[in-house]
Amino acid sequence: MAGFLYMPNTTHLNSTTSLSYCIVVRCGPNQQSQSLSALQFTHELLAQGHSVMRVFFYQQAVLIASSLTVVPQDEANLTLQWQALAQEYQLELGVCIAGALHNGIVNPQECERYQLEAANLAQGFQLVGLGQLAAASVECDRLVSFGA
Amino acid sequence: MSCLISLSQSPYGSRSAKESLDAALVMAAFEQNPGLLFIDDGVLQLLPKGQQPSPHKHIGKIISALEMYDIEELWVETESLQELGLQVEQLSQPVKLICRQQLSELWSKYDQHLVF
Repeated sequence: MAGFLYMPNTTHLNSTTSLSYCIVVRCGPNQQSQSLSALQFTHELLAQGHSVMRVFFYQQAVLIASSLTVVPQDEANLTLQWQALAQEYQLELGVCIAGALHNGIVNPQECERYQLEAANLAQGFQLVGLGQLAAASVECDRLVSFGA
Repeated sequence: MSCLISLSQSPYGSRSAKESLDAALVMAAFEQNPGLLFIDDGVLQLLPKGQQPSPHKHIGKIISALEMYDIEELWVETESLQELGLQVEQLSQPVKLICRQQLSELWSKYDQHLVF
């Protein structure tokens, strides 16, 4: 079971209907292929005209929101790719705040609150509570999570 | 709206068990009525005795708080229990047993399924 989640009991919808999705990403930059799957799946949803109400980064995936990661030129830079996708489609990129703080990902407010040396949350990402995952799961038609 | 959360990680090997239980508690707080399925090493989260995990978070204490959050549907996969050489009487909470073949039936009872 590779961390897949779905809603089988929603109203029957034909293939041309546009659905609202929430994407949960639990795998980080070190699980390259899974992380890429999440990105590509989201990209494809949007390309096919579905809406993505929120992408929620949890567990290892919070590391994708660091602006201080240096990726070799011949490897995929997940941070940049999510940012580009978010900008193109006005996506909401929510990062679990507890996980972010634990992994050294902070925005200017948290930086000030905890008197840290620097803030490094990448542009386009925002720190949110786990409640945003629960809220999105109530509102969306489909919730799909990536990460083993 | 109901949500099944599968917990397959051992309690202290990584932060995953803690984080998945956090998600369960928040789902419950949002009245999502989550059920929990303990599977594979996740069954170990239900072992009550001799947990002295300091300095880690005490998983057993989070488990014992589930009832307070009205999380009452606790499922344990029979095969996982057997593979770990455990008996259902050894677990800290009253649980319902379900065998591997019936899992898809369980999944279909819930609107959503979140796997950790």
